Amino acid sequence: MRKPSSLVISSCLLWLCLAACTKSGAAGKPVIAVIPKGTLNEYWKSIHAGAEQAAKAAGVEIQWNGPQPEGDREAQIHLVQNFISAGVKGIVLAPIDERALAAVVAEAKAAGVPTVVIDSALAGDAHVAFIATDNRQGGELGGDHLAKLLDGKGKVLLLRFQQGSASTTAREAGFLTAMARYPGITIVSQEQYAGDTEKARQVAESLLIAQPDIDGVFCPNESTTHGFLLALQSAGKAGKVKFVGFDGSKPLADGLRSGYLHGIVLQDPVLMGRRGVEAMVAHLRGEPLVRVQTTDLVLATPENAQEKRVHELLEPDTSALK
Amino acid sequence: MRQLFVRFGPFFGLLLVVALFSVAAPDKFLSVYNLRTVAMQSTLVSLGALGMTFVVITGGIDLSIGAVVALVACASAALVRDGHSIWIASLVCVLLGAFCGLVNGALITRLAVAPFIVTLGTMGIARGTAKWLANDQQIAAEPGWLSDLVRNLPEPAWLMVGKAVWLVLLVAILLSFVLRRTVFGVHAIAIGSNEQAAALSGIKVSRTKWLVYMLCGACAGMCGLLQFGLLKSGVPTAAMGLELQVIAAVVIGGASLSGGQGSLLGALLGALMMQVLKNGCTLTNVPDHVQDVLIGVIIVGAVAIDRWRSR
Repeated sequence: MRKPSSLVISSCLLWLCLAACTKSGAAGKPVIAVIPKGTLNEYWKSIHAGAEQAAKAAGVEIQWNGPQPEGDREAQIHLVQNFISAGVKGIVLAPIDERALAAVVAEAKAAGVPTVVIDSALAGDAHVAFIATDNRQGGELGGDHLAKLLDGKGKVLLLRFQQGSASTTAREAGFLTAMARYPGITIVSQEQYAGDTEKARQVAESLLIAQPDIDGVFCPNESTTHGFLLALQSAGKAGKVKFVGFDGSKPLADGLRSGYLHGIVLQDPVLMGRRGVEAMVAHLRGEPLVRVQTTDLVLATPENAQEKRVHELLEPDTSALK
Repeated sequence: MRQLFVRFGPFFGLLLVVALFSVAAPDKFLSVYNLRTVAMQSTLVSLGALGMTFVVITGGIDLSIGAVVALVACASAALVRDGHSIWIASLVCVLLGAFCGLVNGALITRLAVAPFIVTLGTMGIARGTAKWLANDQQIAAEPGWLSDLVRNLPEPAWLMVGKAVWLVLLVAILLSFVLRRTVFGVHAIAIGSNEQAAALSGIKVSRTKWLVYMLCGACAGMCGLLQFGLLKSGVPTAAMGLELQVIAAVVIGGASLSGGQGSLLGALLGALMMQVLKNGCTLTNVPDHVQDVLIGVIIVGAVAIDRWRSR
């Protein structure tokens, strides 16, 4: 043959890449797969860090792999199947969809691979434990704080996250439950959904034009809170409107310190990741498990932002990641 | 030698990837469970690729199929939720897929606009319609035997692989008959080779194109049903980017995007090869970004072969 064929060249490249990239797993250590909903978000990075901490302590190895694109149900189903094939000892899973992932978790159980579910609920009873935040309570916590800031009266606005998302829907419901306790508060808008940060910013800008005299705002997750913060800043209303958000990240922590955010309900994703792996390890050792476990919620305010515990949750420590 | 190589290129490619992972992770990769899983995982892309091969052979492209899959999945979930039988939902939805294809074909021939542009537009329309149908949520419904189709372990067990895999093979055999042994197939190839010459020799170019896009739409419709079975709800945002995976499978399988050339078997092998690569990378703990790069390299490699062949 005159020319080396492209296929041969591609194959050689393939070999090289694989040879270079295959991480050789430490021999003998049991492997646990940890599957988040995505890998890009700070929140999942914190879960990863927690999982790594627990793995080091328990002497197991974790394999971290999330669906791409983030939130792709089918990709997550495929990942679970591939990890079953890979012969992992157990799977810690944050299911994207309550229904869509149930069958594959049952498939894992049938193949002798137990699953611990974290972060979001899963239908069925094929998993051995469920570890998550009490999202409804989180929404109530935020709602009560906002009502206190407003002395129980005023016009309040709720920007929702996304239809069909179980965790944020529970937070929104919790928030509305809390609001119902204060007759002086009127909800002027709760119909708008936002999605990612950019979309949230746009929706929030329109809302601020439509409702120029609002007194308070609640957002149920990181992206909506971040988007609303940006909109308040560009409208020159940051700090004037009482604003309570959800989840920790650098921009939100900065917003809290600058007095633009008056409260952030914080989950503990590091703890959630750690407890997920710990539960799996305990299950593999044959120890009994509490089937449903909730992780803590903390309310961060400008006053307590410097406290160690709050600071840890505002800007989670991800140093366990290489 | 060159002829042989070109003809069996995709086959060699798949063989190579399989051999690679068989060496890297023999006990995991070659297990019955895993082979079964990979076959099932590739069904959606394979099924789409069968229809797309026809479109590519005529020199066209269909970017809308990912969105059509989502639309069909939502429509079938809505029908089942409203109490219709799964058979009715399936029938309506394959027809709905074909109808979307018909719209593509009609717009392309009537407006004489490039398929890329037309289907880019219908992609948005189908995606938006799916979201509207689902009221911006997901439609939960019990897919009955549709989820049986996509189950990894088939019942009865002697089927060896899931029923959806058999469905894909059946469709492939049917379509390869259509492509190689019917007037329609021959016309499709002729149009892709030289549209003007085909028109001058009396081939009804527009009608053939309509049928080709309808066929592609019907395949997308079947994909949508499988997806409903898999996710147990109609998800309007699912199958984003599926069209690109499908086109990649068709190209890896030896089709030429300039038309006139394409192989159904090749497309199946292409889809399988990409899935094996993803699966194998997870098994051997190769990071995700490497998979993307590898698949990109393979696509470019396949196109390079296409150029080499036509030189």
